[in-house]
Amino acid sequence: MKFWWLSWKDLLLIVRDKKALLTLILMPLLLIAILGSAFGDMMKEEETISIEKFTLGVVNLDQGPLSQVLTDDVLSKKLSKQIKVKYYQEDELYSRIKNHKLEVGIIIAKDFSQALMNGNGTKVKLISVPDTVIKSTIVQNVLEQFSRSIPIEAAVSQIAQPVQGGEQNSFVQEGYGENDLLKETTVDAKTIPVSSFQYYAAAMGVMFLLMTVVQGVSMMILEKEQEVFKRLLLTNLTYPNYLLGKLLGLIILCLMQASIIIVGTSLIFGVDWGESLSGIMLLTFAFVVNACGLGVLAGSFIKTEKAFNVAGMFGTQIMAALGGSMAPLYIFPDWVVFVTKILPNGLALQTYLKLMSGAAVSDILPAFAGSIVLGIAFFSIGLFRLSLERRGKYA
Amino acid sequence: MSMLTVQDLQKSFGKFEAVKGVSFTVEKGESFGLLGPNGAGKSTMINMITGLYPPTSGEIHMKDIDVIKSPKQAQKWIGVVPQEIALYQSMSARENLRFWGRMYDLSGNSLEKSIDQVLEIIGLTERAKDKVETFSGGMKRRVNIGAAILHKPELLIMDEPTVGIDPQSRNHILETVKRLNSEGMTIIYTSHYMEEVEYLCERIGIVDYGQLIASGTLRELRESIGDHSRIFLTIEKDHLSEEKLTKSLLGFFPEKNFELQDHQVMVFHKEPQLILSDFIQLVTQTGTKITSVNIVEPNLESVFLHLTGRKLRD
Repeated sequence: MKFWWLSWKDLLLIVRDKKALLTLILMPLLLIAILGSAFGDMMKEEETISIEKFTLGVVNLDQGPLSQVLTDDVLSKKLSKQIKVKYYQEDELYSRIKNHKLEVGIIIAKDFSQALMNGNGTKVKLISVPDTVIKSTIVQNVLEQFSRSIPIEAAVSQIAQPVQGGEQNSFVQEGYGENDLLKETTVDAKTIPVSSFQYYAAAMGVMFLLMTVVQGVSMMILEKEQEVFKRLLLTNLTYPNYLLGKLLGLIILCLMQASIIIVGTSLIFGVDWGESLSGIMLLTFAFVVNACGLGVLAGSFIKTEKAFNVAGMFGTQIMAALGGSMAPLYIFPDWVVFVTKILPNGLALQTYLKLMSGAAVSDILPAFAGSIVLGIAFFSIGLFRLSLERRGKYA
Repeated sequence: MSMLTVQDLQKSFGKFEAVKGVSFTVEKGESFGLLGPNGAGKSTMINMITGLYPPTSGEIHMKDIDVIKSPKQAQKWIGVVPQEIALYQSMSARENLRFWGRMYDLSGNSLEKSIDQVLEIIGLTERAKDKVETFSGGMKRRVNIGAAILHKPELLIMDEPTVGIDPQSRNHILETVKRLNSEGMTIIYTSHYMEEVEYLCERIGIVDYGQLIASGTLRELRESIGDHSRIFLTIEKDHLSEEKLTKSLLGFFPEKNFELQDHQVMVFHKEPQLILSDFIQLVTQTGTKITSVNIVEPNLESVFLHLTGRKLRD
């Protein structure tokens, strides 16, 4: 239990440090308010630009009349200002999306018309490159609207056959494809647009958590330079217990900060973090583990607290910029957005946005698992390096 | 069985040899002093004895425990007062003691009882709830000692525990150490203040350039340099003819047991009273004006000076 008392002591010292508290708690809330207000209009503009005309790839495997109504009447004619329809073979559609030559496509299943008329739901597979949230959402909404009204009217007027049901829109549930460059999603997943306040609540929260990790690891390095570290080594505390205590303290601190940011933005600014509380909790925990692991690994390469502070400051800013905390992810090309998932903050921010858009806990499990695995890997390597360093110096 | 046995201890940092084959023993209940100037290697020795640094070679045994092989086992019985203040400044004295006690596996009532006892010993019961950052240097040093004795160690190692504090706090610390020793705790006390070591320690080891150049009781060390006192003659610089004075002194002290430095003449002699009047007359005859005369009985400073040719604080 000695590691626990070590964590407790670290938390006590932070809580008593007014300057640190100000940076950890008040600063993020203040920045969220400022950036959320300032960038609000800019984000709206981006959203407007994004819904200007784009190409939708269509593979129509259905021979029935309703698929033609959908593609010709609805997509090509009624939505001609927003959508340009291009027809492809299935393989070609996949290939174009994989190569980013096309961003969104739909595959209309063979029995689309029949299924719709029988009241068995509409079978359409929506494919897009990751994170083209706006375009995918537009197509999704069109398909939902179509499934609710147009087919009934069309069916009545064209084939004069009664249609049962049709109220429930249940598109084909497909998992993620073999290739991660493609995102196949169910159309009935309700993607809710994220507001600027929501975006910056998550973005600033993630950035400040990174800064907390830098501060925590920096304190660890500082303690190693001081006499208290030697004194600790002379007690009954073992070195693995020491490291465990320090890491636990850091994780608890980050979780406390994250909770304050989430609850604070929710209460003060009315930020909606999504419907999945368990998803938010799991993601926050996973991100904190990932970021702390990375912090400990980075700290194991740097000997002095001053050097770590400088490196940490630059590292945090670069990671924050790439991860979308400084400017909205929407302005980056999709491949950049995808690549930045490698960064703990990039992955966390995109997953927070997903949860805010209405994703369920099951949707974020891959991101959760990835973060935890990365965090443990970072920490293990860092621990190994620190142990080697200690053995070289101390008994 | 000795409380501590150190045998041929050696420590190198790269090419620099900080400790060069040191051997000594400390008996149970004894108070042993390690005296030497800053940078002599005392702290490095302490760090090895406490099991913090691995020695390059040599052996260290605390009773029957091999400190090098089982440092954690030995550390249970050792209390260390580091040279720097190793405390958390924004925590109170009691909180600090509680934290360090827990690191030594103390808990519950026994921990609280131990904290109360320690606060009484270091004289800070009234200030127990105050944060360490509000304490004077001397008070911080006292808490620093308190954190080392919570677990009632058999061997207390103190590394320059009175550096940079006021005389009142220093006296308090010296009295605390005396008390702990009289209650049966074995003490190793390192310092470059000879008067502290003289006051506290039954046996003394003198360290210089990583070597133990002498050890024994104060009497034994004095005798080792022939129990010589020192006569200090302070002279007016304006009236000094260095060449003339040196010539006269060489005639009077053919064995060259004197030093002429700046405006002071120092002479080593076993019986200074016997030569004092002749010595003063000799100096006056050279036209040199004497401003003061001082006789210093042999002490650790003179032992160190005799052994190394340097003053302790040089």
